[in-house]
Amino acid sequence: MILLPSKKSHPLQPLARSLRLDILEMINHAGFGHIGGSFSSIDILISLYNSGVFNFDKDHFILSAGHICPALYAVLAYEGKFPREELLTYAQFASRLQGHSNLDTPGVEYASGSLGQGLSFACGLALGDKTHHTLCLTTDGEHNEGQIWEAVAFANKYHQGNLINIVDCNGYQLGGSTKEMMPLDELASKYLHFGWTVTTVDGHNFYALEKALRTAKSSTIYPSCIIAKTTLGKGVSFMENNFEYHDVKKLPEDIYLAAKNELQKY
Amino acid sequence: MNSKNIDNKSIRQAFADTLFELAVKNPQLYVVDIGLRPSLYLDKFAARFKSRFIEAGIAESDAAAIAAGLAAGGKTVFLTSFACFSPSLNWGVIRQSICYNQKNVKIIGSHAGLMSGDLGATHQMLEDVALMRSLPNMEVFAPLDAVEMTRILPVIAHSPHPAYIRLPRVSTPIVYPQKLSFTIGKSQILKPGKDISVLGYGPILSELFVDDFKKYSLEIINCSSLKPLDSETILKSVKKTGRCLVIEDHQKNGGLGDAVASLILSSGLKCKFIHLGVNDSFGQSALNYFDLYHYYGLSPLAILQALKSLLNKK
Repeated sequence: MILLPSKKSHPLQPLARSLRLDILEMINHAGFGHIGGSFSSIDILISLYNSGVFNFDKDHFILSAGHICPALYAVLAYEGKFPREELLTYAQFASRLQGHSNLDTPGVEYASGSLGQGLSFACGLALGDKTHHTLCLTTDGEHNEGQIWEAVAFANKYHQGNLINIVDCNGYQLGGSTKEMMPLDELASKYLHFGWTVTTVDGHNFYALEKALRTAKSSTIYPSCIIAKTTLGKGVSFMENNFEYHDVKKLPEDIYLAAKNELQKY
Repeated sequence: MNSKNIDNKSIRQAFADTLFELAVKNPQLYVVDIGLRPSLYLDKFAARFKSRFIEAGIAESDAAAIAAGLAAGGKTVFLTSFACFSPSLNWGVIRQSICYNQKNVKIIGSHAGLMSGDLGATHQMLEDVALMRSLPNMEVFAPLDAVEMTRILPVIAHSPHPAYIRLPRVSTPIVYPQKLSFTIGKSQILKPGKDISVLGYGPILSELFVDDFKKYSLEIINCSSLKPLDSETILKSVKKTGRCLVIEDHQKNGGLGDAVASLILSSGLKCKFIHLGVNDSFGQSALNYFDLYHYYGLSPLAILQALKSLLNKK
């Protein structure tokens, strides 16, 4: 086993802190948002857009789990796709930043909200553009949907080496733990048996994420699955692994301040 | 009453032949099939255009979103299946991945209506028009016969919008006047008349062309463009006749009759109105779909009674 440097030393670590704070401000200001999954997936998105492995002016990114769009919005604002101040319009009337991802947002390629469709869409996109890579972000809870497995079979049939599915495995969904709701044990093994290459990584370690992305990019005929083990609500101790923070309404002042305080030290 | 003097032709075959011709000219035309290639007569297409014929297997939801993803790359994509599977099983995917994402996918729903005969209720899709006309960004079409199919398909293939095209299973009479052309949002007056406006779509309209109806001055309007609907032509005719009969091989709920009734009421026109369709029930098997049309009140006899009733109504 090759030991990677301490994840805290990675140059993207300050961004992981500041974009988490952006997500908190966005959701607190709106009084609405899927905060747990946004915090579990933000490091994956930061790595995708900032590790230099892919170029989303040419490559494609499909967010299949549209409810964690606050994380995507934070990354796209950092990318300069729209002004950072616009983040505070999230989910408001007439905003380009809808409560679930939408094509009006600069940088968004697929509008989603109903789970399980994005991977199929990514298959179609990858089939039509074989000279670039199509990356898709799904969640473990989303794998309850049968359509995911239809797409997994399709990608194998068409040897979609330019397709990469990253699964944010935070272990929770709206109604409880994924084990309790619908167990999908041995997810890696399931993908392997469907003919995919699979890497399992710490979804909060930028070294590990970049390495997995590079490995996936080098695949020629096998679609790649990156199983990112993450923590729901990562960064705020009382939100971590607490499915009551899957989505929140207006945060009480003390909760907001406590979360902000913790994130400033992240 | 019968249509034995009129040639029967397959709308499905006309679809497959016309699509093949379009694909020869347009290298960006793709098919995403849902496991029913032979039934849609797409063997020739699949053999000639191997890389443009995508077989998604029996997976309607997956196929609809794959089609949307392909369309996102600038392709014109035909999603082919039976109406009872697509757009029935995958309606939510069509709603999000095709309509909300505004992707250029043409959904071909074959075997629609009671005309599916022996296959029985599961396959006799009677709710597809209602499902599809309710969706923003979706256009809805139903060719009258094989000739109109050849006119509709090139027009729709060039349009950038998502569309649903409803096809019947059986071969049906040719009644489309050769000189007519097809325009999205326009209906055609197949036969002008002054007493009753008869509106419908698909091969069921051919029932109106038997001798028994010649003594009535019917204005027969083909609403093959179900959405957008040609409100101008419809209201002009209804204003003239003051009587309207809508007939459809579909549930009354959510069908053309609902759309036309709403149109007429909103316009302020006074009009006697009868809507013939399947009344909130499922179909059943029959070796000849005429038996089903008789049972569900869509036969020429039912039409005759409706016409008499409209003429007698005060």
